[in-house]
Amino acid sequence: MTTTPDPRPPVLPLDGTTRLAGTRCAECGLPSLWDPPRCAGCGGRMRRDTFGPDGTVWSSTVVRVPVPGRTPPYALAYVDLDDGPRVLAHVVAGDGVTVRLPPGTRVRLTTSTDDGDVAVQPIEETAS
Amino acid sequence: MTSDRTAPQRAVTAAVAGVGTSLFGKQPDLHPSQLVWRAVDEALRDAGVAPADLDAVYVGTVFGAPGVAQRALHAMGITSMPIITVENACASGTTALHEAVTAVELGRFHTVLAVGVEKMTDQFAGAIHPESTDIEGRTGLALPSLYAMAATRYQALYGVTDEDLASVAVKNHAHAVHNDRAQYRTPHTVEEVLASRMVADPLTLMQCCPIADGAAAAVVRPHRSGTEEVVVRSSVLRSGGLWDQRCAHVWGYELIRDTATAAFDLAGVGPTDLDVVECHDAFTIGEIVTTEAIGLAPEGQGAGLLRSGHTALGGPQPVNPSGGLLSRGHPLGATGLAQTAEITWQLRGEAGGRQVDGARLGLVETMGGGVAGVDGNACVMVVLERTTGVRA
Ligand SMILES: [Zn+2]
Repeated sequence: MTTTPDPRPPVLPLDGTTRLAGTRCAECGLPSLWDPPRCAGCGGRMRRDTFGPDGTVWSSTVVRVPVPGRTPPYALAYVDLDDGPRVLAHVVAGDGVTVRLPPGTRVRLTTSTDDGDVAVQPIEETAS
Repeated sequence: MTSDRTAPQRAVTAAVAGVGTSLFGKQPDLHPSQLVWRAVDEALRDAGVAPADLDAVYVGTVFGAPGVAQRALHAMGITSMPIITVENACASGTTALHEAVTAVELGRFHTVLAVGVEKMTDQFAGAIHPESTDIEGRTGLALPSLYAMAATRYQALYGVTDEDLASVAVKNHAHAVHNDRAQYRTPHTVEEVLASRMVADPLTLMQCCPIADGAAAAVVRPHRSGTEEVVVRSSVLRSGGLWDQRCAHVWGYELIRDTATAAFDLAGVGPTDLDVVECHDAFTIGEIVTTEAIGLAPEGQGAGLLRSGHTALGGPQPVNPSGGLLSRGHPLGATGLAQTAEITWQLRGEAGGRQVDGARLGLVETMGGGVAGVDGNACVMVVLERTTGVRA
């Protein structure tokens, strides 16, 4: 189940918010969750950057089947971070209910889950 | 219906001379070699080819043990030739076929066996485990959830309903009633599909293909001009482009669309010319997205093909007459060659109770995924046609 090193992006507390550590192309600005030797878009040099804390849900689901090392159900969302990359995040709902977030829902990065995953929560209560 | 046919860009050279498959389903008592033997023996007999006639073998498998092919093939006398194993996730079997076709077209080999095999019940009880070296696999994205993300998006953007999604499974299970090699051969209603337990919202269990054990094979050799046989009009293999925040389409759409465009251009045909399609319905939403991406319906309107019966047996362009992955089961490496066997039988008029009347031009499409950040590990499309001439 586990590998070394952990491929998931580091979650950082920064200036009172939560951000993701990654890289951005110095030439074209394309963000990456990895630390690649060259930009996937233009071949330019990558520089360290941080992303978040806010973003928009691209899509979402709730996983309800057993996955090794995890306890279902858990909600996942693809989140397009503002001026940042699309990242897969766990959805942490304040009320403990596990639901899909509709595409377009505004979310904010929060501290990572106990399993070390990137996590988001809705910025405003949304009826779904 | 108007035709999209144009002149083919090159002469047809490769023919699918024979196909074969094992039974598909949970077969825990069978050794992987036994699955391979059944598929390869049938394909060789079908082609009228002996092991000594083969020049090379391409093998598709994902979780196969090292040497899975040689372990099976040497015992039936297929030895002393190049045996090349390829992996492209769910498209591994179709990748093996594509390489076999390409080798024949280029004259590298004359008579080539493509074989796919997967023994999955030894390794998994339920869904395939997410890959822990992958950024999204490590985050818990099992494959059903990747397709569920597409389904959620389609529901929000295009008004695709839970019933629309379920109707893919209903259609394909109805087709599989006539396929005695399929894992599931029982018809089901929309209500039954939706009442099965939720796997990844909005996809229920009966909208997810079952893991299975199986093998399938095809013999490829140069087309014998003037004979009636199934020939390869085109075969295209692509890996996905970047799938990131700049991509407005659901995962896989652009790769399938671009692979289809290339395959149709090479064959000199278009989507309206297809009589029958076997496509990657690993999850119900997959068939809806795929039928749009290959051009059977405009983007966002794929569910309309189900509502009108366009893609059901008896409709103008049946999709997955075999029952698809949803009914046949999905032994990853075997699937693409089982799809190829189905289209071959359809074009020869040998598909029995699920025969598409007068089918002449067919498409095989397989999509492999699992790597975060790209629009698919691989998509393979093969356009097959029955030629006119003297029956071989
Ligand atoms: Zn760049």
